Order: sequence, then C-alpha cells, then structure tokens
Amino acid sequence: MQLTRRRLISAGGLAAAAAALPAAAAPAVRVRIRKFAFDPDTVSIKAGERIEWVNEDFAPHTATEADHSWDTGEMGKGGTASVLFETPGTHSYYCVYHPHMKARIVVTA
Amino acid sequence: MTFRLLSAAVLAGAMVLPAHAAEPMNDLEIAHTAYTAGQLDIRYAHLALAVSENADVRSFAETMIRDHSAVNSAAVDLITELNVTPQDNDLSRALVQGAADKRAELMGLSGSAFDCAYAQNELGYHQVVNKTVEDSFIPAVTVAPLKELLTDALATFKVHEGHAEQMVSNLQCS
Repeated sequence: MQLTRRRLISAGGLAAAAAALPAAAAPAVRVRIRKFAFDPDTVSIKAGERIEWVNEDFAPHTATEADHSWDTGEMGKGGTASVLFETPGTHSYYCVYHPHMKARIVVTA
Repeated sequence: MTFRLLSAAVLAGAMVLPAHAAEPMNDLEIAHTAYTAGQLDIRYAHLALAVSENADVRSFAETMIRDHSAVNSAAVDLITELNVTPQDNDLSRALVQGAADKRAELMGLSGSAFDCAYAQNELGYHQVVNKTVEDSFIPAVTVAPLKELLTDALATFKVHEGHAEQMVSNLQCS
C-alpha cells in the first residue's frame, strides 16, 4: 500500500511533520514487521526522508504514531506503507491492533 | 506421534477425544484441524462482540477475528495452490463439538461473568492449541509450505496467548 496525503490527513495527521511521498523515491529506511515486532525498533533519519514498513506476518499490522498524528493504515501480509518525515523530532509509534508492538523514529535536521 | 494434547479439558469444556484420535494424522488432517481451530476462535470472538461491553474484551475479540481470518485466508490460498482437500477427522470434529458446548455455556452468561469465562477460555484454548501445533503438528507435517505456514501461524497464536493472559489478569477474575 502506498499512502496518500489525503489518507494521512484524514487520520488526523500532522501533514507537515509526516506525509506521503510518491512511490518513485526510495525509502531511507525499511522497517520489517515480523513476529509481531518492528525491526529495527529504533531508526534515525534526516528530515525529508521516508520510512517504509513491510509486513511479513500473517496478522495485519499498522504503524501508528502514539498520538495518532500519522498512521500507515492496515498492512496485510506482504503489504507495505511509507511515510515521509519532513521535520525533526522523535516519534513513538505502535501497532493499533497489537499495542505491545512499539518502536521509535528519530528525525534529525 | 499422538495428538492427545488437544484432549485437555481446558480446550473446549470437558472434551475427551475418542481413542482413535491418538492415531497419527496426515498433512491434510492437520491442515483441516488447524483451520478448524482458527474458525472456532473466530466464532468465540463474534459471540464476545455480541455479548461483552468490556472495551478490552471487545478489542481482543476484534483482534482474534482479524488475525485468525488472515491466517486462515493464507491456509486457503495454500490449499488452492497445492490443489488438495483438507480432511475432516476425529480431532477436528471433536473440536467443533467441544466449541459448540462451550459457546452454549458462554451464551448463558453476561457481564463480568461472561468476560471472565471468555477470557479464561481464550487463554486455555490458545495454550493447548499452541502446544499441539508446536509439539505435534509442525514436527509431523511433511509438506514444507504447510510446515512454514504453521510455524508462522504459531507466532501469531503465541502473541494471542500472551494477550489472553494479560486480559485474564486485568479482569481480576476470581
């Protein structure tokens, strides 16, 4: 799944901080979701870079900011989603379906 | 290889497997039984959504429907790809009967009594199913894609077991 800006906004997102990017740009970091964990569980990127999640589990997952300011939406097995982070900051996120799955993104200038 | 693990009373009321359930199961019987176990948990979850007003219980039930549906969908895809037909068997039939009995018991409950009974059944169900899948089904299966599917599914079911354990604890059931 490739996110759209509209989707992020409809999720109540801070579009200025995290937004969708056209599929052409390669992600700076790819986070695997497997065995109910984000791998790696902490990633560091620069502002303007994108993170892509790939779900390798049977169970659907999401990557959702703790304050719900951005959300990938549901990713089924083999599904992907990406988010562009435009401003520096730290994001704690989790899977809304399996809240014990937690991870962190550090965005630097 | 025997499959008496599933005869544990906790699985579905006081289910006792027929004696010949101890016979080795083939891949198609294992596939049918694993699929059936998932479908039965989905039915428990739908019952929970119909009865429970507890947010945590309802959230757990929704997760069971979502996750088990995903696993069983993958199983159907594999069965279609392999062009085989899973085989009904004594164990899967016993599972179905045991679950029907348990649902009848649960339908007579409401409020916290239902929540606790549902949560405790989910914990016991996942404990026994997981042990059976891990100790019996996966070692016995001969077709690699099915073994892989069961292995991946077990990872999901173990998370459910942990979630159920937490739910039971949070409900503070006596």
